[in-house]
Amino acid sequence: MSPRRVRGSTSRLRVPLLGVGVGLRVPHYAHILRERPRVDFFEIISENFMVDGGKPLYHLDCVLEGYPVIQHGVSLNIGGPDPIDREYLTRLKALVRRVKPAWLSDHFCWSGAGGAHLHDLLPLPYCDEAVARLVERAHMVQDFLEVRFALENTSSYMSYTQSSMTEWQFVSEVVERADIGLMFDVNNVFVSSYNHGFDPLEFVRSVPHERILQIHLAGHTNLGTHIIDTHRGHVHDAVWALYRETLRLAAVPISTLIEWDDEIPEFEVLMAEVERAKREQALALGSPAGAGPELDPSTPELSAGAALGARGWQQGGPRETAAGD
Amino acid sequence: MSSLTQLQLELAAFLRKRTLLENDRAATAWAEAALTGSSSLSPVQQLEIYREQFWLRHTSSLLEDFPGLSGILGQRAWERLVEGYLERDPPEHFSLRDLGARLPAYVADQSWLEQPSLCHDMALLEWATIECFDAPDTEPLDAAELQQIPPEAWTRAACVLNPALRLLQVDYPVAELRRALKRCRLEGGTVSYPDKKPQNLVVYRRQRELDVASVSNGAWDLLECFAAGIPLLEAVEGVVTRGHVTESELGAWLTALLRDFAANGWVARVELR
Repeated sequence: MSPRRVRGSTSRLRVPLLGVGVGLRVPHYAHILRERPRVDFFEIISENFMVDGGKPLYHLDCVLEGYPVIQHGVSLNIGGPDPIDREYLTRLKALVRRVKPAWLSDHFCWSGAGGAHLHDLLPLPYCDEAVARLVERAHMVQDFLEVRFALENTSSYMSYTQSSMTEWQFVSEVVERADIGLMFDVNNVFVSSYNHGFDPLEFVRSVPHERILQIHLAGHTNLGTHIIDTHRGHVHDAVWALYRETLRLAAVPISTLIEWDDEIPEFEVLMAEVERAKREQALALGSPAGAGPELDPSTPELSAGAALGARGWQQGGPRETAAGD
Repeated sequence: MSSLTQLQLELAAFLRKRTLLENDRAATAWAEAALTGSSSLSPVQQLEIYREQFWLRHTSSLLEDFPGLSGILGQRAWERLVEGYLERDPPEHFSLRDLGARLPAYVADQSWLEQPSLCHDMALLEWATIECFDAPDTEPLDAAELQQIPPEAWTRAACVLNPALRLLQVDYPVAELRRALKRCRLEGGTVSYPDKKPQNLVVYRRQRELDVASVSNGAWDLLECFAAGIPLLEAVEGVVTRGHVTESELGAWLTALLRDFAANGWVARVELR
């Protein structure tokens, strides 16, 4: 494939349509660099490449030679009580200049408070104060980075008594007022709907579809009392159904990413998931308007229970560390 | 302070607690006021999910970055060490890569460790390895370039070290021990604590590969001078004064040493000051 080739563009946000991509993860580097598989695009976890040199940037540059790459972050802490870390933003901007992503995203969350970094995607209470904080900062981040910015709905395992609106109202208000994109993770919608007992279809139907610039798909692990967003295993059927409904409502193809961060399989397994996403996309956009999704949110799933490893859910897969030197 | 900020500061403090929140009255009361719970989880159980992940995420990240130190300590002592570390020095940097930056200093303060010096040496080596892993790239200096420096310029010439290089003086052969522990983890078997054997170590990255070399006292002295920005001639005079080499041996000694430094990519460039 020719480098950086993109197809069409998503309306409103004026970002290119990249197709269906996969998250760039360390165990696949050798395969990708050797085989140059036909992947529409890769998404990187920004923090893994906000370094000065060495293998991470070498591998990134090799991938950039052949593929469009977009950036996804996990540590912006946009909803935290502390001001946004200037060093973080400066390093992120340097990476943006290297990668030249069509867009960049982080999460509707907070990750630290009082100077401590918790390295988690903690949910915010859905209240006016949180909306105001996110709107102001999202504006600032987008202006500073000079690239289209988006926030992703997270999976959550707790909800606050302070919340005065639904998650989809919160998400919609922030993206509209801040004029940013929505990174729509339909697996996270499913996970949170199970954990908090809401209807995932109401979430899918209520967000501003014209602001969705990318969709995330991933596997999850059902522990019975709650679901953990492990990014392990195949995308579940109930999530595929939400994916189709999202596309049907948007009525245009949307760049989509397969995330797989735990028990990472051979690259071919991810490519099979990519092919399925392409088939599902064609199915959704070819289906007559008004056709409802085949979704049963209470679909029983394999309970992994004790099989859930000590690492629990992760964001972005293994880091490329010096441990294997 | 806004109600949102207050909520987040309080929640963050609970997530950093080392013990189960379900047995903690204050945490339970806080959670019942601040969190809704769900049909299957109480408010404090929801909070506990995040607390548990805080510890799992950070302890497993440190385990990945410090395989030698954790191998020396064994499970129980390792857990005690890293939990104490995270409690005293909570993560402040956005990147997990920096999580272990203060671990060597923390290890130095732990008098309960069975082999404190060995543990400290290993922690220093492993943190240096992380620093070298993703330090800035540089093209190593060609040995021929060194020879092109005219003799009259040597008083002003300073050798600048590769940014992906760290100098360590250790009491134990920790590089060999680390390799043995990693081999043992893959293949099984046991590893004995080594005897003291003071070493001057150079941890470095050449292109993208990491390595550790043990060097003589004279070579170490010279490298330390380079690291401090001392010009070459002054550095060499110091090496002679401190008795690492005689004046009659100096020429051959220095030529061989600089050739080795260049071959290993330890010198990035020569600056005339």
